Amino acid sequence: MSKFQRVRSFLAGLGLILLALILLISPESGIIIVAAIISFSMLFYGFRTLWFYATMARHMVGGKSFLYQGIIVLDIALFTIGLIQMSKFLIMIYLMGVYAFSGAIDILRALEAKKNGSPSWNMKLISGCIRVAATIALFIIGIFFRESSVLIYGYCINLGYAAVMRFINAFRRTAIVYIQ
Amino acid sequence: MNKDFHCYATYCAAILAGFSHEESAAIGYSSQMVDLCTRTMLTKLHGPLSAATTQLQLELMDARTDIIGLQDITRIWASFHFLPGDLYADPGKKCSKKYLNKYRLICNPNSDLLEKTVRLAKDKSLQAAGLAMHVLADTWAHRYFAGTPSLVINNTNYHFYEFIQGENGETTRKVNFRHSPSAPDEPEISAYTNTVSYNKEKSIMNLGHGRAGHLPDYCFAKYKYLPAWAEYEEIVKDNPKDYFNAFCQMIYALKFLHGDISSFEHSHYDTEAVKPYEDDIRRILNTTQLDSTADWRELGKRLSGYELNEIDVAKLEKEYTDAEEDKKDDTFLGRFFIAAMNQKSMVTNQIYKSGNKLAGYSIDFKTKGFKGIRDFRKLLDKKGGGKNE
Repeated sequence: MSKFQRVRSFLAGLGLILLALILLISPESGIIIVAAIISFSMLFYGFRTLWFYATMARHMVGGKSFLYQGIIVLDIALFTIGLIQMSKFLIMIYLMGVYAFSGAIDILRALEAKKNGSPSWNMKLISGCIRVAATIALFIIGIFFRESSVLIYGYCINLGYAAVMRFINAFRRTAIVYIQ
Repeated sequence: MNKDFHCYATYCAAILAGFSHEESAAIGYSSQMVDLCTRTMLTKLHGPLSAATTQLQLELMDARTDIIGLQDITRIWASFHFLPGDLYADPGKKCSKKYLNKYRLICNPNSDLLEKTVRLAKDKSLQAAGLAMHVLADTWAHRYFAGTPSLVINNTNYHFYEFIQGENGETTRKVNFRHSPSAPDEPEISAYTNTVSYNKEKSIMNLGHGRAGHLPDYCFAKYKYLPAWAEYEEIVKDNPKDYFNAFCQMIYALKFLHGDISSFEHSHYDTEAVKPYEDDIRRILNTTQLDSTADWRELGKRLSGYELNEIDVAKLEKEYTDAEEDKKDDTFLGRFFIAAMNQKSMVTNQIYKSGNKLAGYSIDFKTKGFKGIRDFRKLLDKKGGGKNE
């Protein structure tokens, strides 16, 4: 990693921690903040797809699909920004999907590591089970009781984890040594 | 390529190059070990994690796709399975630096990097020779794909046909790709498993030849398709022909490593040594079967008089774990780990020196001293310089 990338990784970690703190302080309006983040991310993604087409995909067989995709995503993003207040339910579904998928992957990795005799399988299994259990809990709490603050706390944990990973990356040794 | 070629064909090539049965077996097993040495295995053995030469499917699914994760993936796959054909290649059109960097990682045989790979193994262990043979063989099998996750380079589409030899000559049949990893490939109906189409440039689904399934790994396969990078120009990939070249080139390279030839240059093939067995080898390569181990093993027995057993990974692991700390590097796996780190270090350095950061940063010890991942200190210790640092 270059020095610039390290600084960027560190600042991104700080940004994520800040966001998690804001959500923790005000969980009631948190879901709207999360909805806004996701909607603006979609807007950013639309622009990024167009940029990807211009710099990369135009050289690729079938690359024009990115041009259309970018335009459509931009359109949807602008539409959802207008509906931020009403998108609570969709956000819940999205967050549950993320938890369930990452939990399933952790469990599969743990089982594979165990099969290969690796000693580090139990932590992965526990983390996978917690994520799957969290998904079920969020499903019950979110869908039946319409309680969104638990979702926010779960989202904060994810943000915290992402921030820690960025801090670690910023200070990690990554260069390969070449010895002639 | 699968274990049939990487282990058993490599064994045959080593015998034909003049190595003994025991030496050839070590070379064959080391070549196969490249497909087995994962981080999961290294964690279990408490070995250097930087010596990983491959990644399990779930390791890949779990891998981070941030910059560090991508550089790590690229180092592993470009160093051992998709050796870049030309790090200074020009696509012949105006394009962004980002695109150019990916384009320059496309694997192809007979490159300067291949020469460096084989020369790096000279006067080193048999494990280093085996590892170099894996890299060499894969340059033929995996050509036209890059060892980095990239949609714009590695994607394929519906235009994918297999050539079928029939009574009326050669015909083509559309390949039916499926996405279930547990479903076996069925060459008799051209049904193969590939990775799902995923429109993300850096998705792990777009690593190497995932989108073409295992077709590049089958010696009998001859097919044509539209690679994402070739401006709608069809590519015909003739595996039996390419694998034959790989076999002849391995003999030439192994003769160099054995000391019978003074230099190794690319685009040289030892067809003379193969001549008495050419019909047998071509028959094996042209037979439609998912695993040709039995045929190569039989040829190996004819060549050496010995039958090559399956690699006993548990035995090798036990030898490594039972060895005293200062003797670990002298075990089979210890030597393999050193060879793997040497190769990874060299390829990363070459990619970095070409101005391409996709495989990460390389620090030349000679000018900058030891800065970077600590695992590589092993290489320094091997050179006798580690103690003074």
